[in-house]
Amino acid sequence: MPTLLFEIGCEELPASTCRAVSDQLPGLVEEHLGAAPTEVLVGPRRLAALVELPAEVQTPAVTGPPEAIAFGGDGQPTKAALGFARKVGVNVAALELHDGFLTFRPPATPTAAFAEQALPAIISGIVIEKPMVWDATRIAFSRPIRWLCAKLDEATLDVSLGEVQSASASFGHRFTSGSIEIASPRAYTATLRTHDVEPDAQARRAQIIHGLDRLGAWRDPAGVLDEVVHLVEHVVVLEGTFDEKYLELPERVIETAMQSHQRYFPLGGRRFAFVANGGDPATVRAGNERVLAGRLEDAAFTYERDVRAGIDELAARLGTITFVAPVGSFMAKSERLVKLVSELDSDEDARTGARLAKADQAAELVREFPDLEGYIGAQYAQRAGYPDAVATAIDEHYRPDSAGGPLPTTPAARALAAAEKIDNLTVAFGISQRPTGSRDPYGLRRAAIGLCRLATEGGLSLDVHALVTRAYELLAAQQARLTEEQAAVSAQVVDFVEERLETLLGVPVDYVRAARASSVGDLGRKASLARTLADLEPARLERLHTVYVRADRIVSKAGSDDLLPPLRTELLSEAAELAVAEAHAEIVRDLADVTDFEAAVAAVEGLAEPLERFFDEVLVMDENSAVRLNRLRLLADLRGTVRTALGDLAEIPL
Amino acid sequence: MIGMVSNTFQDMISRLERYWADYGCLIMQPYHTEVGAGTFNPATALRCLGPRPWKAAYVEPSIRPTDGRYGENPFRFQHYFQYQVVLKPAPADVLELYYGSLEAIGIDLVSHDVRLVEDNWEGPTLGAWGLGWEVWIDGMEVTQLTYFQQFGGLDLDPIPAETTYGLERLAMFLQGKRSALEIEWAPGISWGDVYRENERQWSVYNFETAPVETLTRRFAEHEEECRALIEARLPLPAYDQVLKSSHTFNLLDARGAISVTERAASILRVRDLARQVASLYIELEQGSHADAAV
Repeated sequence: MPTLLFEIGCEELPASTCRAVSDQLPGLVEEHLGAAPTEVLVGPRRLAALVELPAEVQTPAVTGPPEAIAFGGDGQPTKAALGFARKVGVNVAALELHDGFLTFRPPATPTAAFAEQALPAIISGIVIEKPMVWDATRIAFSRPIRWLCAKLDEATLDVSLGEVQSASASFGHRFTSGSIEIASPRAYTATLRTHDVEPDAQARRAQIIHGLDRLGAWRDPAGVLDEVVHLVEHVVVLEGTFDEKYLELPERVIETAMQSHQRYFPLGGRRFAFVANGGDPATVRAGNERVLAGRLEDAAFTYERDVRAGIDELAARLGTITFVAPVGSFMAKSERLVKLVSELDSDEDARTGARLAKADQAAELVREFPDLEGYIGAQYAQRAGYPDAVATAIDEHYRPDSAGGPLPTTPAARALAAAEKIDNLTVAFGISQRPTGSRDPYGLRRAAIGLCRLATEGGLSLDVHALVTRAYELLAAQQARLTEEQAAVSAQVVDFVEERLETLLGVPVDYVRAARASSVGDLGRKASLARTLADLEPARLERLHTVYVRADRIVSKAGSDDLLPPLRTELLSEAAELAVAEAHAEIVRDLADVTDFEAAVAAVEGLAEPLERFFDEVLVMDENSAVRLNRLRLLADLRGTVRTALGDLAEIPL
Repeated sequence: MIGMVSNTFQDMISRLERYWADYGCLIMQPYHTEVGAGTFNPATALRCLGPRPWKAAYVEPSIRPTDGRYGENPFRFQHYFQYQVVLKPAPADVLELYYGSLEAIGIDLVSHDVRLVEDNWEGPTLGAWGLGWEVWIDGMEVTQLTYFQQFGGLDLDPIPAETTYGLERLAMFLQGKRSALEIEWAPGISWGDVYRENERQWSVYNFETAPVETLTRRFAEHEEECRALIEARLPLPAYDQVLKSSHTFNLLDARGAISVTERAASILRVRDLARQVASLYIELEQGSHADAAV
C-alpha cells in the first residue's frame, strides 16, 4: 500500500497545541483520507502523520434519471439525460445504465491527487484554542507555519497553504542541522533522528524519564513533564547543583523557583535535573546553574528581608494593604477573622492563627510566589517560634482550594478555613459582587463548596446564617462601605452555600431542598438530614410524606396560615381531632429532646395513624367558622412542626 | 568562550544597532516619557497601526516603579534597558534574523541551548496583545518575541513582529555575571557604578515619598487632558497623556495606593483612551496617505 507522509513545519508550538493536535489528527485524517494514521508525530517544530492509503481511490457512483425518462422512444437521450451528463461533466456516451438508472461512475482518483485535495482540509480542520495570524494571507494557526513536507512513497505531493508550498524537504535540529531531504515516508523518522530530531513525543518522554531515572529520585510536584516533552526536539537530560546556603530557604520556595520558571526537576538536596535541546553539556549546565543561583539568590534576598521583619511586623503592616476597596485593609480582615474564629473554636491557637493568617500578604516573598501564600506565612510563624498548631492553621486556611483538594488537618485550621470563607462570602455579597455566570473573581463558588465540605467531611459545626450575620456586624462596626442590607446578605449567602450542597452530597436534589427548609441551622446537620431522608425506606418516607402533604394541601388551599387565630383546645370536640392534637403535642415534646434525625422521623411517624383517622372522620371545612379555623390551625401547626424538624417534604416527589 | 571580542554593555548595544541598521531598520532613540517597556514607545505602539510598513530598532529604558529594590538586589531594578526591534510586516525569516543577531553579539548557537518557550504578551492598558515566546539561552530568559495581533483594541494588518532584548540579562549571560550590578558597562566601569545610587534614590521615591494625593490628582488630569487632545484630533500628544497616566498609575501602585477593584477600573479607563487614540491615529494616517496619493 502507498504510504503518505505529511509534516506541518511550524515556529515553536506551545505544548498545549502539540497535545491538542495529537488528539485531533487521527480523527481528521480518517475523516478526510478514509484511513486512520499509523503514526502521529508531534513536537515543538513539526506536526506529522503517516497514513497507509489504497493505490487508487474510488469515489461513489452518481445515480441519474431512470432509463424510461433518460431515453426517448427513438433511443436518443432526452433533455433529462443531457442535463445529468452536463452536471457530472461527461458526455452521455460515458454514462452507463445500472439497475434501470442512468449512472455516472467516476474514474478512480489517483491517491496522490486525492491526498493533495485532502491535506489542506485536514490542516484547516485543526482547532486551535488561541490562534494567531502572521502574514497577508491571514491564515490562522497556533504559530506561523513555515514549511510543508508531503510525500506519497517516493513522490512529492503538491499542496499549498497560504504562502507555503509543499516540498520533499524537512528541517533537522534548529542549530545543528538545516534543510534535509525526506526520501520517502518510511524514511522520515530515521532521517530526522540522524539530524538530531526525535519527532515522536512518546519516545522523547521515555528518553526524558530514562535520563531522569538515571540521575536519581527526581520529583515533579508542579507537573512540568508534560510541557517539557514539547519544549525539546532533541533530549539531553543534565544535572546541576546549587550552593548549599540556599537550602535554608523553605523547601517549596526552592521547588517553585526551580519549577515555575525553569521547568527543572528537584533531585533532593542541592541537586536538580533539567532537559536541554542540545548544546555543549558543560556550557549549558554552567549557564543553568547560574540562572537557578540567580533565582534562589533573589528568593533568599526577599526571604531574609521578610524574616528580619518577622511575622508580627508583617502583620502590623497589613493596615496599608487593601483587601477589597470598600471594606478596607487586610488588617481589618484579620481582626474580623479573630472574632469569627472565636465563634467556631475556643482554642487559643486558632485565634493566634487568625491574627497572623494574612501576615504573609505583606511578605515580599508572596509577591514573588503568590501560589505559596499561607505556606510562607506558616514558615515565618515557625521561624518566630509560634507553636506548630498555629503554623498549621495558617498554612491550611485556604483549604480546600479545589473541588477534591485536601481539607485542613487540625480543628484550629478547619475553624480558620471556615472563618476565611465566611468572611469572603459576606464581603462580596455585602458589596453586591456575587458571582454571575462564569464571572467569579473572588472565588466564591470554591469558598462555598469549601464550607460544605468542612461541614460534611470535616465535621465542623457551621451555622452559616449566624456566622454571616456576625461577619456582617463586624464589617458594619468597621465602617465598611457595604451596599446590601444584613438580612439580605445573610439569606443570600445561606442560599448560595446550600445550593452547593445540592451538587456535593450525591443525594437527589429534592431531598436537599426539603432539608434546607427545616429549621436546622447547622450546615453539616442539614446535610445529614438530607441523607437521612434519602436513605429512608420508601414505605416510611411515604408515611411521612402523606402526613405532611395532606396537612399542607388543605391549609394552603384555605389561604395564608398567618391569618389563622391561635389554637383553642376548647373548640376541639371530635375524638379524632382530639387524638391528633394530643399526638401533636406529644411529638412537640419528643422533638425537643431528639438529637438524631432517625428519632425525629420515628416521632413524626407517630402522627400518621391519628391523622388518617382525622381525615376519615372529621370535616375540616365545618360550617361554623370558628371550628373551621381552629381545625385549620391545628393542621397548620402540625405541618409547621414537621417542616421545622424534617424540612419541606412536599419538595420530594413521590 | 567569547574569545577576544570585547563584550562590554556598550559594545553589545553597538553591535545590535549595527546588525539591525544593516538589515534596514531605522535606528530610533528612546522616548522622552517614562514607559514600562519599549513596546509603549510610539515608534512601536502607534507605528504598528495601519497599513504602512515600518522597521525600527532602539534602546528603551524600562521604568517599572514596583520592581525597584533600592539597588540592593542583584536582579531587580525600577530602571533598566531593553533593545526593541519592530518589523512590520513580520518577515517570514524573523526567527533566523533574531538568531543572526545573537551570533552578531558573539553567541555560538551550537554550543549553547537556545530555545523558544511559549510566552504570550498582553498590555491591558493599551488593549493590546500578541502571541510569541520568551527566548532561553541555557535557561536564562534574554528576549521576548511577539507577533502583535491587536493594539488599541484594533486587529492589526499587516502583523508586526516585535523583538525585545533584556539588555542586562543578555549582558549577564555574555559576561558570565551573577549580578546585573557587576555587568561591565565600559572597561573598568560597572552597571552598578552607573546606576546603583539611582536605584536607591528612586526606590525611596517610588515606595516611600511619592506624593499620593498629588499623583492621584495628576492621574485624573492626564486623563482629562488626553480626552481634550482626542477632541482636538491630536492623537500623538494624546498618546503621551496615555503614557503619563499609565506611569502615574504605576507610581500609585508602588505606593500601595491602588486596590484590586480600583486597579481594574483604572486599567479600563486607560484602555478606553488608548482605543480612541489608536482609532484617531489610523484615521489621520489614512487621510494623509490619501493626500500623498493625490
